[in-house]
Amino acid sequence: MKPASFDYYRPSSVSGAVQALADSPFAKVLAGGQSLIPAMNFRLATPPMLVDIARLEDLHGVEVDEHEVTIGAGVTQRHVEMSTRVAEVMPALAEALRWVGHIQTRNRGTVCGSLAHADPSGELPALAINTDADLTVEGPNGIREVPAPDFIRGPFWTDLRPGELITSIRFPVAPRGTTTRVAEIAHRSGDFATVGLVASLTRDGRTIRRARLCGFAVAGTPIRLRSVEGLLPGVEQLDETAGRTLADAAAADLEDPVGDIHATGQYRREALAALVVRTVRSMLEDPQREAS
Amino acid sequence: MERQDHDSPSAQVDIEVTINGERFRNRVPARLLLSDFIRDVAGLTGTHVGCEHGVCGACTVIVDGDAARSCSLLAVQVDGCTIRTVEDLATDGGLCPMQQAFHENLALQCGFCTPGFLMTLESVDPQDFADADDLFALLSGHLCRCTGYQNIIKAVASVWNEAIEPHGGRFQS
Repeated sequence: MKPASFDYYRPSSVSGAVQALADSPFAKVLAGGQSLIPAMNFRLATPPMLVDIARLEDLHGVEVDEHEVTIGAGVTQRHVEMSTRVAEVMPALAEALRWVGHIQTRNRGTVCGSLAHADPSGELPALAINTDADLTVEGPNGIREVPAPDFIRGPFWTDLRPGELITSIRFPVAPRGTTTRVAEIAHRSGDFATVGLVASLTRDGRTIRRARLCGFAVAGTPIRLRSVEGLLPGVEQLDETAGRTLADAAAADLEDPVGDIHATGQYRREALAALVVRTVRSMLEDPQREAS
Repeated sequence: MERQDHDSPSAQVDIEVTINGERFRNRVPARLLLSDFIRDVAGLTGTHVGCEHGVCGACTVIVDGDAARSCSLLAVQVDGCTIRTVEDLATDGGLCPMQQAFHENLALQCGFCTPGFLMTLESVDPQDFADADDLFALLSGHLCRCTGYQNIIKAVASVWNEAIEPHGGRFQS
């Protein structure tokens, strides 16, 4: 028996979940549990109560239209990854999801759960920040919307207040001609990234019109690389000099890289810069076939 | 004993789970992991527990058709679900084709990781996998510390190539 003892509660409605969470301030929401249960196995987390929302029908929706993709809090990562409707308007989601854990964990883990967990090395918080996704949060004081960059406050720290849970996340569809890549340096396939990057380029023919890049696993939260984004519009190819300029910009964007047992801050800064150049170069060399 | 229907918070829960065709109805602690339910309550010790945090893949079982880590699920989360474990693969006629291929290709040494590999492979349709890289991505969710994976890939390729296209080489690395 690995997790510490707790009370299990499976409410029959979202409002029932909110009530339970409000009544028990240290209760945790259980959806897929793919981060929570391992944390409880090691007793890094010892919540007195779990509120299981996985079976709430209201949270199982995936809505897709030409402007946005909305994913309910009960929807698994694998479901979104395999959805042809999602792939049509937002291939970036499947691109990011295939880096999340393994197929066996994506079968249970949820998209919104990754946001609630706010692991600095998570791909989905980075994608959410890079695309300006919005989270819908329900709590004792009603429903509110929180932009992803405000939602992710720090390592494993979100804007959720006592009694609140995420009910859905809404990703805006990127402009036509946008391609998104996720790139990572990790010790083993499927491990938490040591250094990660989400890169979205919107191109008109060969020319970059808009660039959005977000580094992750390099600081307490995913970091938008604003100077890199400023340099890329108008670019068609990266020669050696332009590559060096871009690398310097990426290194400068990462003001306060985190150092830990896996890599020093300086390593992360240099590796992120290299990853930015390598990824942008490879995207520019690739014939543009993916839309959005 | 009145059934605890999860509609009020409780540290003890009543669950009903079907494992390999056999139905189990038990009152268990809410904190009981599925892996421990399978091994200690159902008595099926073919499911192995390695890292206990979802990394190694040894404890992988099939929950309602999909591969999942039984160490990262509470038994109560699969209340009402159908579970398959490695004990469900062999029949009276002998090993299943994948087990046979593991045997013939020496795809295991200590065998600790093998049930997990087999259950992940059992859960998927080879038609959904385009090439060896796809297969690597699937198997990357399993750690094997003996065989270096080459013989495991060989075993899977032999079964999957045969299933899709006799004598084909789609999954050869």
